[in-house]
Amino acid sequence: MGLRGDAAIVGAAQYKPEKYATAPQMFHLEQVADLASRALEDAGLKASDLDGLVINGPQFHEASVFVPAMAAEYLGIELNFAEVVDLGGCTPVGMIWRAAAAIEMGQCEAVLCVIPMRMAPFGPSEDPAWMARAMRFGGHSTAYGAPEAEFDLPYGHMGQNTGYAMIAQRYAAQYGYDPEAMAKICVDQRTNAQANPDAMFYGKPLTVEDVLGSKMVADPLHVLEIVMPVAGGAAVIVTSRDVAKRTKHRPAYVKGFGERLSFKSPSYANDMTVTPVAAAAKRAFEMAGVKPQDMDAAQIYDCYTITVLLSLEDAGFCPKGEGMRFIKENDLTFKGNFPLNTHGGQLSFGQAGSAGGFSQVIEAYTQIAGRADARQLKRCDQVFVSGTGGVMSEQGALILQGG
Amino acid sequence: MSLKPMPEMTEISKPFWQGLNEGEIRIQQCNACEGWVFYPRRHCTHCLSHDLEWKPVSGKGTLYSYTLTRIPTLPEFADEMPQALAVVELEQGVRVNTTLVGLEEDEIQVGMALKPVLDQVDAKGNTLLRFTAADKALDSLPYENPLDSLPRNDKGQVQVGVDNPVALQALVSDQFTDWSNSIVVDQELINAFAELSGDNYWIHTDPERAAKDSPFGTTIAHGALVQILQSRLTFALPFEITGFQTMVNYGSDRLRFPSPVPAGSEIQARARVKSVQQSRKGTALTLEVNIHVVGNDRPSVINDLVILYR
Repeated sequence: MGLRGDAAIVGAAQYKPEKYATAPQMFHLEQVADLASRALEDAGLKASDLDGLVINGPQFHEASVFVPAMAAEYLGIELNFAEVVDLGGCTPVGMIWRAAAAIEMGQCEAVLCVIPMRMAPFGPSEDPAWMARAMRFGGHSTAYGAPEAEFDLPYGHMGQNTGYAMIAQRYAAQYGYDPEAMAKICVDQRTNAQANPDAMFYGKPLTVEDVLGSKMVADPLHVLEIVMPVAGGAAVIVTSRDVAKRTKHRPAYVKGFGERLSFKSPSYANDMTVTPVAAAAKRAFEMAGVKPQDMDAAQIYDCYTITVLLSLEDAGFCPKGEGMRFIKENDLTFKGNFPLNTHGGQLSFGQAGSAGGFSQVIEAYTQIAGRADARQLKRCDQVFVSGTGGVMSEQGALILQGG
Repeated sequence: MSLKPMPEMTEISKPFWQGLNEGEIRIQQCNACEGWVFYPRRHCTHCLSHDLEWKPVSGKGTLYSYTLTRIPTLPEFADEMPQALAVVELEQGVRVNTTLVGLEEDEIQVGMALKPVLDQVDAKGNTLLRFTAADKALDSLPYENPLDSLPRNDKGQVQVGVDNPVALQALVSDQFTDWSNSIVVDQELINAFAELSGDNYWIHTDPERAAKDSPFGTTIAHGALVQILQSRLTFALPFEITGFQTMVNYGSDRLRFPSPVPAGSEIQARARVKSVQQSRKGTALTLEVNIHVVGNDRPSVINDLVILYR
């Protein structure tokens, strides 16, 4: 069942996170072409090698339908495989396994997975203020008949912060809560970011006191436990083993994956504290024939600290209810015994919309390829990667292994 | 507080919202598997049967989880700070996204027993389902019309300050004013307008030809004439906007002439506030003015007139 493990990540490109106000504005098609050429260059491949494309449909600026065909035409490439993925922050993880599966089925040889997340230039008739107003409900649909428009928004339930806060409160009631342990996630990841010049918070160390002293947004989440939205975007090239052999760096083979979703609002989860990554990670580990303790690093989607805590537990890195103790007893930095989010995590790197999850995928690849410079792990052959969309709504897991 | 997003009921959800408006909590139960379903759907989430039945329930439940917000989730909710956003599990096992009311912060605990509070949020009777502790006396929150506490002028109109967004929103209504006085649009008036405007097309000005060739069998008034005759038709608005520097007619968002006004017809008008929007330009109040031939349900003029206060 599942993958043989014959498809690999062979190259990547990622815009350095920037504040929206000062980041360059580019059309999304333009970013796709730019990221594609950088990722191909990184891998040592040519545009003519590409025969597959996985791209974001939602939030693609120049079109809401027919996105792959438009992008293929713009790039000037012919595709045997085209796919749109709509899994929020889990989209990058979802893209990688879909690309690997298509390659293993013999559908294609080299797939560009790409999400452009810099802002596009405003048209002469577009009003930035109006567009900001249109965005104010974030990921919440306001369409007539959308359950969340009818049953959430009138009560003020909106945005991700409060959903994650309610998951944390439920967890606290069931298992207890240690704010210092949660703050330590931010602090250890920030230590990692000090060795990553691309990170948004490079050069800005952090203490537990800073986190606990930062503004409370929705109990028990402080503002420093919440990702900062940034402009960015990323691309990853996934190829067959044959193509991987002629690339520049050590490939990271996709050995296992899992995906799980069943709700959009966590209010309707069977159990708010047992997250979908539990099922996704179990499947991924089984497919790869490895265990959590075999991993050299964990790149865990970290929109919020609570996401990291629950993912560590539910993916099997520590028993349920013991995540806080696990965090306090282990050194989560790249120098430590449990390297977690060695690029700084999105909490310190920045979150470029649904491309944010690529930061975890690309860091896993970079560590396996031995290209992580100052934060390079001494040994990195196997990495666990997770993705999370919505409010723990859609989650996925990857097991990557050095070739 | 109609500035907050309001539920727009669908054919599927209507029994739920109507139930709340009538003081009853109703949720769906599946006749095939007896599973309970919330939010309202056409099918059972346990067995996909379409045989669902609305059942009245007590609304009692427990607090599954909650958060207290320290930054409002939308600016419109600033008056609720901290918002006590909650997920409540009803006795039937279904969960409801809601808020807690009538509780101090330290009274709130996951797992606590709760009971429903019916909160009427607008003058139309729209009601939201909120919750409080099972041992509190609170059962409902009556609607407080923000217009009730405002002064009235000597014509009896409520005086609404241009800086009072909540009261301005409360002016928005589906209800039109009473009818205005009526006036007769005779051929003489039509001819005078033809002369003034230069629009002397025969359909307005030639009764003999109109009797023969016009689909209406007689001359009809210019749409533009009927539109401007609004100035002779006085309808009583129930409010007066106060506290502005200037008031200008900003134009019209929509102008339609859905039915003709045959020469000699008697016309009357009425109006309602369709929307109030605030922007950098000022406060734009859109008044939907409808002018009818007396006795005709179909308007002859629909004019969404935008009045800009600043």
